[in-house]
Amino acid sequence: MKFAHLADCHIGAWKDAKLRNINTKAFERAIDICIEKKVDFIVIAGDLFNTSMPAIDDLKLVVQKLNELKHKNIPVYLIAGSHDFSPSGKTMLDVLESASLFFNVAKGEVINDKLKLNFTFDKKTNVKITGMIGKRGSLEKKYYEQLLKDNLEKESGYKIFLFHSLLSELKPKDLEKAESQPLSFLPKYFDYYAGGHPHFVFHAKEKDYGTIAYPGPLFPNNFAELEKLGRGGFYIVENNKLDFEPIQIYNTSNIKIDCNHKTPEQVNEALVNEIKGKEFINTIITIRLFGSLESGKQSDIGMKEIFEQLYDKGAYFVMKNTNALTTKEFEEIKVSSGSVEEIEKSVIKEHLGQAKFENMSSEQQEKLIQILIEVLSLEKDEGEKVADFENRVKTEMDKVFEIRD
Amino acid sequence: MRKGLVISGEFGKIVVREKSDQKIELGELLIANTKEGKILLQVFDLQFGSQISQQNLELISGMNLEENTPINLYDEHLRNYNLALMKNLITIKGNRAIVCKSLPNMFSEVQEITKEDLKFLTKPTHPLFIGKLRSGSKTLDVDIFLPGKQVFSHHILIAATTGKGKSNLMSIMLWDTVDKDYCGILVLDPHDEFYGRNKIGLKDHSDKEKVVYYTPRNPPPGCKTLKINLSIIKPQHFNGVIELSDPQRQAMNMYYKKYGEKWIEAVILEKQLDVQFRDDTLAVVKRRLLYLLDLDFIKNQLFCNGVFDLKAGASTIKDITKEIEESKIVIVDTSSFSGAVEILIGSLITTEIFNMYKHYKITGELKDKPVISIVLEEAPRVLGKEVLEKGSNIFSTIAREGRKFKVGLTAITQLPSLIPRQILANMNTKIILGLEMAPERQAIIESASQDLSQDSRTIAALDVGEALITSNFSRFATPIKIPFFENIVKEKKETPKQNFSGINLK
Repeated sequence: MKFAHLADCHIGAWKDAKLRNINTKAFERAIDICIEKKVDFIVIAGDLFNTSMPAIDDLKLVVQKLNELKHKNIPVYLIAGSHDFSPSGKTMLDVLESASLFFNVAKGEVINDKLKLNFTFDKKTNVKITGMIGKRGSLEKKYYEQLLKDNLEKESGYKIFLFHSLLSELKPKDLEKAESQPLSFLPKYFDYYAGGHPHFVFHAKEKDYGTIAYPGPLFPNNFAELEKLGRGGFYIVENNKLDFEPIQIYNTSNIKIDCNHKTPEQVNEALVNEIKGKEFINTIITIRLFGSLESGKQSDIGMKEIFEQLYDKGAYFVMKNTNALTTKEFEEIKVSSGSVEEIEKSVIKEHLGQAKFENMSSEQQEKLIQILIEVLSLEKDEGEKVADFENRVKTEMDKVFEIRD
Repeated sequence: MRKGLVISGEFGKIVVREKSDQKIELGELLIANTKEGKILLQVFDLQFGSQISQQNLELISGMNLEENTPINLYDEHLRNYNLALMKNLITIKGNRAIVCKSLPNMFSEVQEITKEDLKFLTKPTHPLFIGKLRSGSKTLDVDIFLPGKQVFSHHILIAATTGKGKSNLMSIMLWDTVDKDYCGILVLDPHDEFYGRNKIGLKDHSDKEKVVYYTPRNPPPGCKTLKINLSIIKPQHFNGVIELSDPQRQAMNMYYKKYGEKWIEAVILEKQLDVQFRDDTLAVVKRRLLYLLDLDFIKNQLFCNGVFDLKAGASTIKDITKEIEESKIVIVDTSSFSGAVEILIGSLITTEIFNMYKHYKITGELKDKPVISIVLEEAPRVLGKEVLEKGSNIFSTIAREGRKFKVGLTAITQLPSLIPRQILANMNTKIILGLEMAPERQAIIESASQDLSQDSRTIAALDVGEALITSNFSRFATPIKIPFFENIVKEKKETPKQNFSGINLK
């Protein structure tokens, strides 16, 4: 029995068309490898899409590939992740599932207010698969608290559990500030725990739990990940042996310049030296400038020329990060580094308590605000009427506040 | 209610004749009315008094015993009586309490204390509930609170022999702080009793989100498996954990200097050092690390069997410190560890917390942070004279200078006499439950915040759940009755129904 474990494809994540294109290409490549390696089935541990309502172009390509798998008789089992989950339950995943392009294995029933998950059987291999969705702000925790585990733990045969959460015990140092769930939330005695959500590549065997694996994203999702991971990938699991399949669409090259005690001219010179004599054909280049400039300002560095030189050398895409770059000549401006989500979080935390919510702890308020941001950032779909869009937003909001007719 | 009259004595030793139809108990609180106000008295000894000479008393009792002659005395209630020796605690003027500097008048009436007399006992900011005021064996309906923020940062000592209710008291204190934001608490729990895995415990609190439980074995759902990555451990963490010779310590430091986070692996794999050490020194270091950290070295490969791990647990210590900083109670179940491993883990976490708060002091953020207390059972294991003679450790450092950084200890022990006097004196709040052994009582009395020189007998007579609090933050040594933890655990809050959106439900 051989299967592929993908997670965090985040189709549609990058705003820039070029990077967005690589993201979808990475997905195409991953599926092609799965077909080539003749896997029996594929599991996707959440966040196939970057939003619950992806753009038509992204959707079209994913549907084509899923359709290809369907015709090759390679079933896909997945769960919704924190990005493609919707509080109203209305996601593109539902549409694709109803077209039998994959099976959402997060299914079950409610018994005495507790959640009983049911298994989905892979007919070819008799493997039993189930899983738990991921939600923003680690809200899936509430589901785990109500999860009945007996039926899951007692089931015999080869079992796979899909989950979309960072596990506290396995958290790497660089993610120590990220929210996580304890391992004890997962049901025991599964053979394979297919994880998603944290973007790092990791697998380990834990007592009573079998193999727990995170393949990381198919393609890095932001500047820092491009620097750290360079490329994405996924696992192919055969007889419980894991092989990491890297997906390298373009090469990546990182340039980091410490600007402390340097003038803009010296920084420019350092950049020129870094790229001198090197080829950057089909390469994604990240340039990170940090420290405090001795004089002048950022715009004096001449990044435009550097970019031009790199494109002349065949670079596919060049991007810079100057979040941690300051200058002595100007008043220091406090800049936040990190992802949009992190910045949002810190801003919310800063302003908590300014409005009075009755019977709500600050933690609950914080979570509510995060969900509201998510719902209110819904975008109008192509061809969707304004009234329909308004209704959709209203329904989502009603769900959040649990308002009934 | 009149209970007696002041008849003689001196300051701190006032003699009161007990009214014949009343019973005055050891430790009882009484009020003597004076022109200046009320004087709060506490009984520390009881004696017989009689108008009949000792010779005659012996004769009368002999007649009764040997010849069955009934004892019929004329005006017996006037001739034979009890005398209570009392110390003056404070003077109450209206709603204020001031230090007592005078005696009550001769023949002052001594009355039973009432709630009205205790109006000066106000609820402090950040109140920490300890129990109800006790007068002798009677419990008064007056809640006793300590100013939690100060008390935790200035260290607490809980002293008692087994079975007197140390764990019950600790559970009460923890329960009271769960939903408070002024403090975060780390509990190193060698008996795995506070979370309540199989009984009532902190898990039953309505604010249970603020209780975090780490255990190395079979964690209940939602609780965390205790895993600590080897890369986090530094040679300094072994101070006070195991005895090491100077060369062994130096070898460990050299490995750390050369191999950084991977120094333990380097020791086990016998990697080269730039400095020469004797083979047997390195062999001992390797063997002791393998044993202490529960590692196996088979066919040139390192295997982790216990709580220490090569892959997992990289963020555990940071997670714990973050949770404590968020005013949570973090309980670490150390019941399955040897003493040395327990202290090593405690030392790892405590060092991180202390360094973090020291940093906050420098950056000026400390004032906004909750006070932190580290609960240590069997405290002499890390604060004992013998241990500290071999060198200081993080716990003794906190005992000495923690309060400057809002980090305090809550030390629990049966044997306070093993803790050096200097450290005992630094423990500014002592909660004394029954202590039968005289040297232990003496150690506490000598380092108490209030004068307990007359209270040795009262302390010895403390029953289960009865305690005496002596603190820099209370006006007098306060007798209390600690309620049973089970009785204060209120009914669990009902969990709101979950809608499970996103799951395909039948």
